[in-house]
Amino acid sequence: MSELTISRRGLLAGSALLLASTALPTIGFAQTPKKGGRLVLAADSEPRNLNPAIVASNGVFFLSSKIVETLAEASFDGKDGLQPRLALSWEGAADGLSVTFQLRDGVKWHDGKPFTSADVAFSALQIWKPLQNLGRTVFKDLAAVDTPDELTAIFKFAKPTPFQLIRNALPALSSVVPKHLYEVGKIEENPANNAPVGTGPFKFAEYKAGQYYRLTRNDAYWGKDEPYLDEIVYQVLPDRTSAAAALEAEEIQLAAFSAVPLADLDRISKVPGLKVITKGYEGLTYQLVVEVNHRRKELADLKVRQAIAHAIDKDFVVKTVFLGYAATATGPVPKNDPQFYTADVPTYPFDVAKANALLDEAGYKRADDGKRFALKLLPAPYFNETKQFGDYLRQALAAIGIDAEIVNNDSAAHIKAVYTDHAFDLAVGPPVFRGDPAISTTILVQSGIPDGVPFSNQGGYKNAELDALIVKASETLDTSARTELYKEFQKKVAADLPLINVAEWSFISVARDTVGNIANNPRWAVSNWADTYLES
Amino acid sequence: MNRLRRFFRTPEAIAGALILALLAAMALAAPLLFPGDPQAIAGPALQPPFQDWSVPLGTDRLGRNVLAELFHGARTSLAVGLAAAAAALLIGAVVGTLAGFAGGLIDEALMRVTDAFQTVPSFLLALAFVSIVGPSLGVVVAAIALSAWTGPARVARAEVLSIRERDYVAGARVIGMHPLEIAFREVLPNALPPVLALSSVIVAAAILTEAALSFLGLGDPNRVTWGGMIAEGRTVLRTAPFLSVVPGVALVLTVLGIYLTGEGVVESTAVSRSLS
Repeated sequence: MSELTISRRGLLAGSALLLASTALPTIGFAQTPKKGGRLVLAADSEPRNLNPAIVASNGVFFLSSKIVETLAEASFDGKDGLQPRLALSWEGAADGLSVTFQLRDGVKWHDGKPFTSADVAFSALQIWKPLQNLGRTVFKDLAAVDTPDELTAIFKFAKPTPFQLIRNALPALSSVVPKHLYEVGKIEENPANNAPVGTGPFKFAEYKAGQYYRLTRNDAYWGKDEPYLDEIVYQVLPDRTSAAAALEAEEIQLAAFSAVPLADLDRISKVPGLKVITKGYEGLTYQLVVEVNHRRKELADLKVRQAIAHAIDKDFVVKTVFLGYAATATGPVPKNDPQFYTADVPTYPFDVAKANALLDEAGYKRADDGKRFALKLLPAPYFNETKQFGDYLRQALAAIGIDAEIVNNDSAAHIKAVYTDHAFDLAVGPPVFRGDPAISTTILVQSGIPDGVPFSNQGGYKNAELDALIVKASETLDTSARTELYKEFQKKVAADLPLINVAEWSFISVARDTVGNIANNPRWAVSNWADTYLES
Repeated sequence: MNRLRRFFRTPEAIAGALILALLAAMALAAPLLFPGDPQAIAGPALQPPFQDWSVPLGTDRLGRNVLAELFHGARTSLAVGLAAAAAALLIGAVVGTLAGFAGGLIDEALMRVTDAFQTVPSFLLALAFVSIVGPSLGVVVAAIALSAWTGPARVARAEVLSIRERDYVAGARVIGMHPLEIAFREVLPNALPPVLALSSVIVAAAILTEAALSFLGLGDPNRVTWGGMIAEGRTVLRTAPFLSVVPGVALVLTVLGIYLTGEGVVESTAVSRSLS
């Protein structure tokens, strides 16, 4: 019986079941995914709004991506790094003014209504473009979505928009929500934002604040035989130390997003029955960045910024703060990006003597107490690693005579202090690279962004040349020309240091041996888990 | 002299005094034994204790010398404990004296304010204060004092209520002294001993509160504190338990030392009172 299933799937491979079928041959036929079972995993936060079409962030995707699907998902070996989800194919017009999506047939919403191109049009025009944190920039020129039939959606842009950008944005920005539920009342206040309804392999079942979220199997899912799991339970464990203990006690079977502290990984990898997985986050690279307030006269001096870059021992940061689970950074695009990264940029090797010389040259001599000037340093509180890097940076700056005073804030106060009040000199931030510099990277150095936009250039940096380059790249339709412009962008950013990129890291999953099909796409933790299964 | 001998009669008091003396020595010697920034990186990260004698108690997540941090942490803990207790006693004594001596409406008003402060859990009050004003050493001291002054205020008021009926107070009134002068020059000094007896409890509580605030990330991040060290070590509790255990033990010993000493002082004065 089971062999029959596999041969049938083999025939279907190439379209919908690419994901499942790529996983099967490598693992071997012995490990046929088993149906049934409940996967219990650790969740470290309880997002208020669970609508991924409005809040495109990993915290929301982690839960909602199982319920609400996107048009396409990231893939290790698919064309352009994508695999189909709700859309079967996508094609950009040569003039950059339209993109045509062919949608999947026979897809039903969790409430039984059919999924059509009207839902895509509604989501794109009413939610992604006006309301979504990331969609606002990517879809800013989207003028209309034509729906000639129920399974075709044609995005029309007012200005030429690079197809490469739209393609790269699909996995994170294209969550489709049901029009029939959202067209009445205010979208932001819709009850489905807290109990999402989608087309995904799992349905939202229950949420107990402070305890758990429960998702149940969608029996009418379009994927053949999928999903394999009956239930997914997100156990809320905000304390990072408790996730490791819960895994060992077999209370949970999976802890994603580095819920187990890095320092514990070495020990936990030796526990029988548990495995440490570093794959499956390639599409979610976080960047460790020193944000610079260029309003400070000392920091407006390029020599001072170069001195700070030379004072940071990136290898030490990777080895000590990240315990090796990271890579040193050279510029604003991470090394693991297959499309845009270039290593051909100015670099700043660790050299305290040179840093001191640069500061002397800039005219900031050491006073009698050995200090040149004092700074306020605000490490972002979201990750242990950003806080620890703050402690390290304070020491690194002390070595070159800069007296940094650390100011600790909670998340809300940190965002206000840095991105609204600009009450910082240096800040440590963890921006995310989302597969295309235009999605969330150029905004970090572009000028003219209004106050209060988080994770954007709020340091008062203004470089007309760089701004022009960013605009030009956003209008360039030819993929290779556009890629070249972003290579130029990396060089300029590394040369002028509007911010200092220190390291790039991603997350680690720890799971019991019984959990199958883990980490089989570059955004695995935030993908739909239709093919995830439990062995026993 | 007599009292000192009486104090050292109990072994608890001796133990307490020894611990406190050691702690004071640590705090005073810290800048001499470990000059420079105790948060400077001294070696490879997460070295276990008793391996490398240049860092006898090992190193933390960033490679900082745990022993140096411990010594400098003693300074912070003692400074915060003493300053907060002094501030709390000062506020408490002034409020209590005013309330007790003035009586009437002023007494009512001041005591209701005291009640209001007492009904709020003191740690919660400190927590809220620090998270609003922002963490720095001065704010932490103020926050702890703010949550600890009510005890001394009540004790001071009770003492003042009995003292103000004494003959010498009536005498001072007759010679025309200003009421405030009588309150603070004649009454307060005599009301102080029982208030001061509270000091050991307050210092110990202040050190614990400071540690708890630092543990929650609300301490001054530019200073080493024991609470902060415990919090830092917590993430690696399973792989490097010494990072939390060492400052934890120091904290326990300190609070124990202060309690025992305070106990000894109270007992010796109690004996002397009953003798006299």
